[in-house]
Formats: sequence, structure tokens, C-alpha cells
Amino acid sequence: MAETITIRLKVNGIEREVAVKPNERLLDVLREKFYINSVKAGCLRGECGICTVIMNGKLVKSCLVLAPEADGAEILTVEGLSKPGKPSVVQRAFIEKFGFQCGFCTPAFVMAAHWIVENMPDAPEEKIKEILNSVICRCTGYKQIIEAIKYAIELKKQA
Amino acid sequence: MRTVLAFRTILPTFTYHRPSSLAELLELKAKLGKDAAILAGGTDLLVDMKMGVKRPSHVIDIKGIKELHVLEYKEGSGLIIGPTATLRELETNSLLKEKYPVLWDAVRKIADVALRERATLAGNIANASPAADSAPALLVYDAKVELTSINGSRLVPLREFFTGVKKTVMKENEVITKIIVPEPPAGAKGEYFKAVRSAEDLALVGIAALVANPNNPAERVVRLAYASVAPTPVYVKEVEELFKKDEPLNKLIKEAVNIVLSKVSPISDVRATREYRLHLVKYVTAYLLRKLLGVK
Repeated sequence: MAETITIRLKVNGIEREVAVKPNERLLDVLREKFYINSVKAGCLRGECGICTVIMNGKLVKSCLVLAPEADGAEILTVEGLSKPGKPSVVQRAFIEKFGFQCGFCTPAFVMAAHWIVENMPDAPEEKIKEILNSVICRCTGYKQIIEAIKYAIELKKQA
Repeated sequence: MRTVLAFRTILPTFTYHRPSSLAELLELKAKLGKDAAILAGGTDLLVDMKMGVKRPSHVIDIKGIKELHVLEYKEGSGLIIGPTATLRELETNSLLKEKYPVLWDAVRKIADVALRERATLAGNIANASPAADSAPALLVYDAKVELTSINGSRLVPLREFFTGVKKTVMKENEVITKIIVPEPPAGAKGEYFKAVRSAEDLALVGIAALVANPNNPAERVVRLAYASVAPTPVYVKEVEELFKKDEPLNKLIKEAVNIVLSKVSPISDVRATREYRLHLVKYVTAYLLRKLLGVK
């Protein structure tokens, strides 16, 4: 089917317009049209969470959003978190607390962490763990990730 | 065969529709029938399409229909949930937590937060998985499903909605337009027990229990419903009758467990064996009843 649909979306603060096929995913658009490669393709069935982005302020898995569904949406990925030369509090916390091992899942965890810091700054450790259920780290370095998130919450409160 | 299909990375092609009114949706559905899949959250549909289980030539996204995005409670008549209301919207609704604790408990135990931001309650029901966590909770509240086609609407009790694994009474031209959850019995409390290996997994066994007025046999209400124990979610209606008897609660609990065991028929699969599931049903049912009825 050659049919294409034109969608408009705001990605990391920049308005974009792009022609998509109905069966493309938001994930495909981000990676292949906008070259945002921090958003990874893993299981493509909503289990691993490696494609996690923030869409209209909500944590979502971009492999389960069709490109035309994202029409009009605001998308945030790790590329949109930092200012030039200045990492966000979450990014700083992940670096200082070694909240990563191989790094493959890190962009997804940083987005989940960003969402937690922005939306539930008083979350107890149990709640943080519950939110993190949505992303899988195969190096299993969860402890440092949780430490990093708690530290990021502290950093944000100090700022 | 399944393994090969799992490597499909590009979704099959289809025509995308995004109606902006219910009338437009019903017309589309009347015309396209089973060639058209309804897309609300997409957390089941897109997975089935990726796995090759479903291959619709048309996908109808219903999120553009404002009148379907409903979540409202009216004292006396109950809760009305539209088909695009997400599980996350239900989970974060304080009224739901207070008035419908079993449903709230089940919803927050489905998958993970990122999936609940997209997934809908109607989708969980329409998908008709035997493991649907919201189904047992809706069954103990005696929820009704409003099905609408171009010819009009009908109200189906959820207890008559499921007909088999991924099968329901829905006709090709029908869509879910509402889920109605009646006012619960006064003072009702309860919970959804989900036996899992890890939090985001499917239920090995899911048990919804609702209890009201435990100490007054005439007014007593005890309802039990199950997931992952049969081809469809199971509501055990005999239990409600049983607990109207003026007999010692311990004796009634034992009888209830035996009734439940005679009504379920779990299978062995990758998650658990039939024997383990029966074991869970037996002990967790008794545990929940003792806890909610206040029996030592």
C-alpha cells in the first residue's frame, strides 16, 4: 500500500512534519526519519521497554504507537533533556552513581527516571521500582539505577 | 512457526482510519466488518499484528472520538467507563480506589506503567484473554458491556460476554461503547490477588474477591471470580448463594473452596502447571475469604 499520511509532531522542542506509512511505528519515525538513535528497537512487542519515550508527558513504549497515532504529539527523548554542555540532573546522577553498565538500556532508563523525577519526586523506593518494571536491563544493574534516581531527586530539590 | 513470526519487524500493511464521531465509526465498522480492527491503546492489537496472529486490512483508531472518552461516576447508578479511558486514568482516579477497590487493585496490577498509559479497560475485555486481570474484578461488580452497531445498542452482562479463548459475543459490526459498573453493595471491600513470577507478567492465577456485611447472613454478599483458570474468565455464582446461609463461616469457606475447584479447569503451560494453579486456587481462595470475612 503506497498510501502515506502526513503527520506533525514536536520532537525535543522542534516542530517536525513528516510523511509516514500507516504501518510505521513512532519508533521507526524517530530512528529512521529523525535519526534519533537513542531510542532502541528491542522486542517490538512492549515487553523490554528499550524504546521508551515521553509522549505528551506520559511514559510510553514507542514500538506500540503507530506513526499516525503520534500526529500532534509532543515527544521527548534523551536528546531533548540536556542543554549544550550541561547534562540534566538525571543524566548527571546516572553518571555520578554509575547508573549504567553496557549502556544499551540507558536512554530508556534515563527517560523513566526523568518521568519519575518530574512526576513523583516523593516516590519511595518501592514506587520507583514499580515504575522501573517497564524497562529491562540485561546487565541487571538495577541497584545503581535506583540509587541514581534517588540522587537525581535530591539534586533537583537542592536546585 | 511462532519463532519465525516473532522476527517480523515490519507490521503488515493496512489502511488507517481515524473517525471523529461515533456515527462515522459505526458506519465504517458496518462496511468493513471483521476486516477492520479497532485500535484504542494498541497494546494487544499491535503485538498480535507483529506476531502474525492478526492481519486486519483496516485499522480504526477510535481515540479521535471525544464522546467515547468517558470516565464518570454517578451516585446510585455507578461508574461509566468509555472505550478510550486508559488503565492509567483508572489507576490514578481516587474515587475508583475508594468505591471500587477490587477493580482499582486489578487495574494497577496489569503490565507496567508505560503500557497502562496506552492500554484501555475496554481493550482488556475485548481482547478476551483468559488471563485478563480486569475481567474477574469487573465480574464481581456485575459489570455490563454496551455494544453498539449501526442498528443500535445492546447491554450484555460481562458474565455472558466471554465465549472462549479470545472469543466474545460481539458481532462483526459491533464496538464496545461503554462499560457500566453498577454501584457496589454498601460497605463492600475486597481485593484482586494476582499470583505472578514477576510484577509485569501475566497472572498464573488471578482471584477477585468482594465481601460486604460479613456478619449478617441475610445481607451478606460474597463474590469470587477468577482469571487464568479456564478458557474464559470465570465467575462462580454459586458462592454468592452459599454465603446467604446462616451457618458457621469456617464451614461455608470450606464449601466455597470445593465449589470453586469444581468450576475451574486450568491448563499446564509455560507459566505454571495445572496442579500448581489448582493449589493456588484452593489456598488463596480460602486465604482471601478468611481475611475479608474476618475469620481467624
